[in-house]
Amino acid sequence: MNQAIEVLSPNRVISKQTVRWMVGFQLVLLFFIWIFSPTVFLPKPKEVLNALNEMWMEGLGGELITSFYLNLQAIALATLLSLGMAYLTVIPFFRPIVTLLSKLRFLSMVGLTFFFTLMATTGHELKLFLLVFSVSVFFVTGMAEVVASIPKEKYDLARTLRMGEWRVVYEVVIIGQADKAFEVLRQNAAMGWMMLTMVEGISRSEGGVGAMLLNQNKHFHLSAVFAIQLTILLLGLAQDYAIGLLRTVVCPYADLTLERK
Amino acid sequence: MPSYTYGKTLLKVDDVSLEYDGRPILKHVSAEIRDIICTDHVQGQVVGFLGPSGIGKTQLFRIIAGLNKPTTGRVTINGADRPVQAGEVGVVAQDYPLFEHRTVMSNLLIAANQKEKDDKAAHDKVVQYLTEFELIDKARLYPVQLSGGQRQRCAIIQQILCSDHFLLMDEPFSGLDLLMLEKTSELIQKVANLDELNTIIVVTHDITAAAAVADHLWLMGREHDPSGNPLPGSHIAETYDLIERDLCWHPQIITQPRFMDFVREVKDRFRTL
Repeated sequence: MNQAIEVLSPNRVISKQTVRWMVGFQLVLLFFIWIFSPTVFLPKPKEVLNALNEMWMEGLGGELITSFYLNLQAIALATLLSLGMAYLTVIPFFRPIVTLLSKLRFLSMVGLTFFFTLMATTGHELKLFLLVFSVSVFFVTGMAEVVASIPKEKYDLARTLRMGEWRVVYEVVIIGQADKAFEVLRQNAAMGWMMLTMVEGISRSEGGVGAMLLNQNKHFHLSAVFAIQLTILLLGLAQDYAIGLLRTVVCPYADLTLERK
Repeated sequence: MPSYTYGKTLLKVDDVSLEYDGRPILKHVSAEIRDIICTDHVQGQVVGFLGPSGIGKTQLFRIIAGLNKPTTGRVTINGADRPVQAGEVGVVAQDYPLFEHRTVMSNLLIAANQKEKDDKAAHDKVVQYLTEFELIDKARLYPVQLSGGQRQRCAIIQQILCSDHFLLMDEPFSGLDLLMLEKTSELIQKVANLDELNTIIVVTHDITAAAAVADHLWLMGREHDPSGNPLPGSHIAETYDLIERDLCWHPQIITQPRFMDFVREVKDRFRTL
């Protein structure tokens, strides 16, 4: 009873065991709502499982690999570009350029297709360009904010340790913010999956889960749509976990604390 | 009181002025710190740097640290014929910044390596300081895992390892309870007396704590017009030599009535700044 009050009270710290119970309960509740939901637009778990089986037979696994590879390529390129641009904001000349890049996030992906089609030689390239652009404009925004929010004291600390300005940039901006860079990467890699389905809808040359999803959507196969979404969600969660794990290995200090939240 | 003499000038603030957008912040600030030589023991220098809020203490602090350049004048150390450079004077900021992505050992090694190019010698020096300051068992921890006191000591060691015997401390007594305040005062004395040339400038609002730990006090203030209004641009309005007054190097000096009288005198002067 006390634990129930705790989890419903604001600003409370709860034990790990309580968290496990609470999450378990919420999952079961969600599952029951799903099973007993009266709405006809929500396919039942059994229907989704059957659809998943069918989709798997039709090549969902292969499409997933295609999409995963494309997303991985795009995220890697976007990370290199965005980190490079964000780090360059330490040089005043590059700040307006990065600000402009950041503002491009308001542009529609569909509107950019024609421009990138002229640049690309294959469908894969077109999708890659679109995805790199779309992820980069958000990534660079987040990362530039991380760089801008470094307190002056950090730079001063490096300077008082006789570091030259480039060494200050390396120590304070690049390796000093590596944990935050991983966090921004994590957010944008998740966004990559969201955009991927759109991009694969724009250019269907290689297929991919996005193209598959749009096909099923077009024919109102709701069970299949749910099955694909569920698969993307699981893959996304695995990717999120992997990036988090990498962050913990590379930046073991990131999650350490003496304080309780 | 042990016999003492003054040696060479260690730090000189020479007619420093600072303006922002034509508005004077500092006006002809001049001061110097000389080596205090005691015949029977190693004696470093501790200067308490006091002044009301907004008087320009931080600006002068940054100029002495070589982090900012004055509009005119200069700060020199050890009789050098050029202005002080960043890194020659250690700075321990109020919140004791350290590189959060490095362990205690790595934070100190990076500082030691800036002066000592031989890795083995730098490592030995770091271990010696860690032992001296009771942090050796914390060497593998990250700064976020340290308590406030441990972090303070680590930040001080880091700056000592890299600077040329000079240490600027910004508000080291701020927000401390009585016990921690005494410990911090002891720590400052200990660091100062590690080397004859060690010189610590403590920037603080706490007149009693500064007087208890320092051998000299600098009071920053502004000049006033005939109607009593402060004029823009501050300078060192008063200096106190606590050695001359026989008010330093005595254990438990703060309990003595003459020390309390002195603090009252400084406070009275402080109110007129």
